[in-house]
Amino acid sequence: MSRRAMEQPRRITDSFPRRRRRGPGRPPGRLKNKKDKDKDKDEVQLKVRDCPRAPSQPPPDPALMEMLRRFDLSWEYGPCTGITRLQRWERAQELGLSPPGLIRDALLEHRDNPDVTYSLWHEYEL
Amino acid sequence: MFSEQAAATAQGLLAPPSAEPPTFPRVAVSGYSDCSQPFQLGERSFARQYAHIYAVRLAGMRPGLERRARSRWGNDVVLRRLSELQEGEKCCVVGTLFKSMQLQPSILQEISEEHNLVPQPPLPKYIQPSDELILEDELQRIKLEGAIDVQRLVTGTIVAVYGCEQDNGRFLVEDHCFADLPPPLPWSGPSSDRYVLLASGLGLGSVSGEALLSTQLLVDVVTGQLGAEGEQSCAAHITRVILAGNLLSQNTQSRDTINKAKYLTKKTQAASVEAVKMLDEILLQLCTSVPVDVMPGEFDPTNYTLPQQPLHRCMLPLASAYATLRLVTNPYQASLDGVRFLGTSGQNISDIFKYSSMDDYLEILEWTLLVGHISPTAPDTLGCYPFYKSDPFILTECPHVYFCGNAPHFQSKLLQGKEGQRVLLLTVPDFSATQTACLVNLHDLSCQPITFSSFGADSEDGDMELEH
Repeated sequence: MSRRAMEQPRRITDSFPRRRRRGPGRPPGRLKNKKDKDKDKDEVQLKVRDCPRAPSQPPPDPALMEMLRRFDLSWEYGPCTGITRLQRWERAQELGLSPPGLIRDALLEHRDNPDVTYSLWHEYEL
Repeated sequence: MFSEQAAATAQGLLAPPSAEPPTFPRVAVSGYSDCSQPFQLGERSFARQYAHIYAVRLAGMRPGLERRARSRWGNDVVLRRLSELQEGEKCCVVGTLFKSMQLQPSILQEISEEHNLVPQPPLPKYIQPSDELILEDELQRIKLEGAIDVQRLVTGTIVAVYGCEQDNGRFLVEDHCFADLPPPLPWSGPSSDRYVLLASGLGLGSVSGEALLSTQLLVDVVTGQLGAEGEQSCAAHITRVILAGNLLSQNTQSRDTINKAKYLTKKTQAASVEAVKMLDEILLQLCTSVPVDVMPGEFDPTNYTLPQQPLHRCMLPLASAYATLRLVTNPYQASLDGVRFLGTSGQNISDIFKYSSMDDYLEILEWTLLVGHISPTAPDTLGCYPFYKSDPFILTECPHVYFCGNAPHFQSKLLQGKEGQRVLLLTVPDFSATQTACLVNLHDLSCQPITFSSFGADSEDGDMELEH
C-alpha cells in the first residue's frame, strides 16, 4: 500500500486545506501556530529576559511587589527559584500550608507582567 | 503449580494423535487498570534545582511521621524544628537524613586540579566506618550520634529522631522511627488461581547466546507450545507477563566507537539495533498469546533518570501491532484483577546496596517499604527528574505485590503489617544469569520460581531441564 503506486499529480494531502507557510525554511509539517504552544507551556524557560509587557495594564503598585517579595522569601512554602509564583502558591496549597489567598488573586490579576509571575531570581539561570 | 498437574498427563505425549486436539483457552483478563500516571512525565523541564523535590518530600511525609512519633513516644512528645532546639531538652525532630561518605564519588573532586587524582574506580560498596549522619530540615542541619545505625541508612530517608541536643552541638539519638508501612488497600483478588509471570534482565544483545535458548523456552512455556496437556492447561492460567527491565544487555552500551577513528566506525551499527530487533521478535511471539507489560531498565534505550519513560513503540514495529503489548514506565504500578502491583527494574535497590551496609536485596526492598519511599537515594546518587510539585516515589498506599527486577537471586517473603497489610515482597532474578523467572499466584499471593536451564558445556547427559 505504498504511495508510489499512485503515481499521479494528485496527492492525498490535496484534500486538506492549504495554509500559508510561515517562512521559506520551515518544513511543511509544522504549520501549527507557534504562539499556541508557548501559551500552553507553564514552565519557566531558561532565558526569559525579553518578555514583552502588555501595554494596557497599569504597573502594579510597590506595596504589591513587596508582598510578593515577602512571599518568595518566606521559607515555609519551600524553595522559590525555578518555578513561577503561581506554581509555588498552588504547591503550598496542595501541601496544606495555607498560603494567603490575596497573593493568588494578585498573581492572576497581573498575569502578563513577568515581574509579578516569576520569582525574585528568575533572571539568574538555575 | 506445574509439577503436580503436568506429571499426570506426561504420557499423553507418546499417545497417538486424537481426532480432536484439546484446546485450552487462556483465562480472560478481567480488571486491569494502569496506576502509573504519577510516573509519566509529559513535558520535561530541567531548568530547576533538586531542592524542590527534597522540600516536597519532607513536607509530604512530615504529617505521617509526626503521627507515628506521637503513637510511639506518647501523645505529649515535644515536636521541634532544628531552629527551636534547646540544649538538654528531650524532643523529637523530623527531617531528611544526609550521610556524608568519604568514598562517595564526587565530580568536584575528580575535576579538581590541585589534587591531581585519577577518578576512583567504581566500588561495589562505598561505605566506610568514618561515615556520618546529618539530619536536615527546612532550615538547618545537625550531626547525629547515638542509637542510630549509620552504616545501614542512606541519604534522602525521612526519619523522626527522639533525643536531645548536647553541648557539643550534636544530637544524641535515643530512638528513631520511620514512616512504617503505608495504609492498606482493600483486597479484591480473584477467586480462582490466576498467575502472573515476572522476568527481568533478558539481556539480549550480549556476546554469549546461552540465555537465548532459555528465553525461547520461556516464550514456549507461556504460549503453551511446550509440554503435555497438563503443562499447557497450567500455562493457560497465566494472565500476564511483566518484563521488569534490562531487556538489552550491558554489552549493547559499549561506547568504543566513540574513541575509534571515524573511518573505522562508519558502517558499524550500534549493538542495540540488533538487540532491539531480537526483542521485537520475542515480544511478537509473546503478545500473540498473552498481555505483556514491558518496563525499561538500566541498559534499555530510554532516558536515564528515574522515572524512566516507556520504550517508544516505533522500536518494536512487529509487536506494537498487538494491543496486548503495553509499554510502561519504570517504576510501574498497576492493578491486575484487583491485586495492586508496584515495582521497579532494580536501579533503586542496587543504588541503596552500594551506599548501605545491607547486603540482601530482599532486606533492602522491605526497608524501602518500611521507610515509605521507593527510592530515597534519588536524586543524590541516582538520577532523578527534578520534580517540584510532588514526589511520586512516596508510598501512599501499600501494594499487594512489591517487586524489584535484576536481583542476583530469587527471593520472596509475605509481609504482614499491623494494620492488616499483606504484601508479597519479591526480588525477580536476572534472567540472563540465572535463567529463572517468577510465577505469582494472584489468588493467595504465593510465589514460585521457574528455571529454564539448558545443558551446560560440562554436563554429561545433555538433558534440558525445566525445574520448578
